Amino acid sequence: MPSATVTTSAAEERVPPFPKPKVLPITVVQPSKGWFQLDLRTLWEYRELLYFLVWRDIKVRYKQTAIGAAWAICQPLLTMMIFAIIFGKFAKFPSDNVPYPIFAFAGLLPWIYFSQSISRSGASLVADATLIRKIYFPRFVIPAASVVAPLVDFALSFLILLVMMGWYHVRPSWATLLLPLFVGLAVCAAMGVSLWLSALNVRYRDVGHAIPFLVQFWMYASPVAYPLSLVPQRWHLIYSLNPIVAVVEGFRWGLLGKQTPELGAILIGSVVSLILLVSGLIFFKRMERSFADIV
Amino acid sequence: MNDTAIRALGLAKEYKIGEAQHNTLRDQIMAGARSLLRRGIKRQRHDRFWALRDVSFEVKKGEMVGIIGHNGAGKSTLLKILSRITEPTLGRAEIQGRVGSLLEVGTGFHFELTGRENVYLYGAILGMSKAEIDSKFKKIVEFSEIEQFLDTAVKHYSSGMYVRLAFAVAAHLDPEILLIDEVLSVGDLAFQRKCMEQARSLRESDATVVVVSHNMFSIKAMCDRVIYLSHGKVLADGTPAEIIPLYERDILGGAGELDTPRWAQARLGSDMEKRSVTVTGMQILDEVGQPRSVFDFGERVRVQVKYQIRQRSLRPNFVVALIRSDGISACNYSSSLDGLNVAPGPGEGEFELLLPPVKLVADLYAVHVMAWDEKFQQLYGAQIGGSFHVRHDLFNSHFGVYHEAADWSSPNSRGERVGENSAVKVETP
Repeated sequence: MPSATVTTSAAEERVPPFPKPKVLPITVVQPSKGWFQLDLRTLWEYRELLYFLVWRDIKVRYKQTAIGAAWAICQPLLTMMIFAIIFGKFAKFPSDNVPYPIFAFAGLLPWIYFSQSISRSGASLVADATLIRKIYFPRFVIPAASVVAPLVDFALSFLILLVMMGWYHVRPSWATLLLPLFVGLAVCAAMGVSLWLSALNVRYRDVGHAIPFLVQFWMYASPVAYPLSLVPQRWHLIYSLNPIVAVVEGFRWGLLGKQTPELGAILIGSVVSLILLVSGLIFFKRMERSFADIV
Repeated sequence: MNDTAIRALGLAKEYKIGEAQHNTLRDQIMAGARSLLRRGIKRQRHDRFWALRDVSFEVKKGEMVGIIGHNGAGKSTLLKILSRITEPTLGRAEIQGRVGSLLEVGTGFHFELTGRENVYLYGAILGMSKAEIDSKFKKIVEFSEIEQFLDTAVKHYSSGMYVRLAFAVAAHLDPEILLIDEVLSVGDLAFQRKCMEQARSLRESDATVVVVSHNMFSIKAMCDRVIYLSHGKVLADGTPAEIIPLYERDILGGAGELDTPRWAQARLGSDMEKRSVTVTGMQILDEVGQPRSVFDFGERVRVQVKYQIRQRSLRPNFVVALIRSDGISACNYSSSLDGLNVAPGPGEGEFELLLPPVKLVADLYAVHVMAWDEKFQQLYGAQIGGSFHVRHDLFNSHFGVYHEAADWSSPNSRGERVGENSAVKVETP
């Protein structure tokens, strides 16, 4: 949390002017040509704004709440409990030779991160419409902030997962080292989908309305509550086009020591994530020109 | 490109309005279906609007340029394009240096965060780095005068405090080029004065500033140059003294000099030759006879009018009315009430009136000359001659129409009425 103390001192008169760049940048403002321009340099210049927007989202989320950041762990814990009762006990879903609760939790963790990302980013551009209409900055930072902010909740829940792993005596394997890769995959998929949804939502507000349904449907289409093995083999190819399949598989492999991870699914999911990200960037950049006019 | 800060070449911006704005998939499908069915009928182009057309100008480093124009002239659109918030449809602009835009004060403030947190957030949004905000933090808080409430959530602030904090951050934005859209008059009088001082210090610095404003005072006070935009085009570009009178004439309801005010057009008709009385010339001068357009509170204004009477034996009662920029009729002087002998028509003549020291509040006043009969029932002629500003640091239209000092008194410790201006003087032993 940035802080500066305000102290007055009679001797101090003028704060020396903040140093300015020696060579002045020349900007050309003109109608965009061609399909899109990536303009990564401007993005880098505005990295601090990304930090502040993430900080803003996190701060605001838990302001004036009684239990504050504890909400971050409530969602996965409570969902896991409901899953454990309904799917674990009543429906008796198989769970990869691991106790069902921790099986579900390992899947819920990345899933909740992903669903929070796309839910928040979908409406993010519209929510910050006044910013977009009045201030210049690369619009990318707004959905990017919605994708980075839930990582904090994710980190908190991850600690709980570690506690649970100790409780159930689940031992991780060497594959645990791959975990950061799978987190990266989740971020990649979340970013790609967020760019698409947020850009579309500016023009077609239907998208914002559709997101809750999309999220619900997506959860059932991912192996969160049930194992991948439950899906018939012939459907695996199509099923794996969902990048979350790869992420959840990777998490279960890395954390719970799953014996036979579906490497094919992981590969397909990774490729799909990459395609989503690149196409999302291109689409977003193309639509960016008209955001201020139509948001 | 060396000493040019901004160069605009043929900037144009087209907007789609009304039905062409499809917000939902359903609307788009419906519109598509409609246009399919209507194939063959020429497509109407009512849904497009050019906010800017072929705008070109250059601003040198260190210049302060004001942009004026009626509402909807394209001023804000121009600033948005120069700020890169929106893209031009045609043309280009070359900008040398970092740009700071103040198009609205306090955009991005989040109500749940505290004042301190919002300073950082808003500063980052405006483009300041964290290090820069750290170094200027103390000055920002001092300027805003809300140090006591720095750690309370902004949602508990009054609107004045909120605006002061936002402006304090914005005032410390220090780019090479500053684009400002009418945000200089916020807060109470004391704060406004602070803002004017800040604006003056901008003048002294080497920053290039482009200001959009409706406040002719600030423009006259701050700007070296004025660009007059009208309906998306650059109508005129020059010094404030040249351009502002053009603008004022346009907004006071006359397209040219000596035009008939709108309320009188129906009564008198549009043919000047048929009118009983016409004004052929008017000049606004100061007490010593110099033509002027700005007067200080308390000065005396001379109005010289040349007229022509066409109707035989008509002795018009000339009325000189001062109409304020918001349409309020502030003051009327009548020649017959004040005892002027007007020679009967037909023929030409002239008169001059020396107004008493002007006690009207600071504003822009249009001078209307009318010719009535003595009973103010029959109108023979009406024209707008010119306009002038009254200047005063404090008395503006919030104070009413005019101001004069009154005699104040209050009882002293012995219960007797004493006062500086009081007629009753009590001697103290």
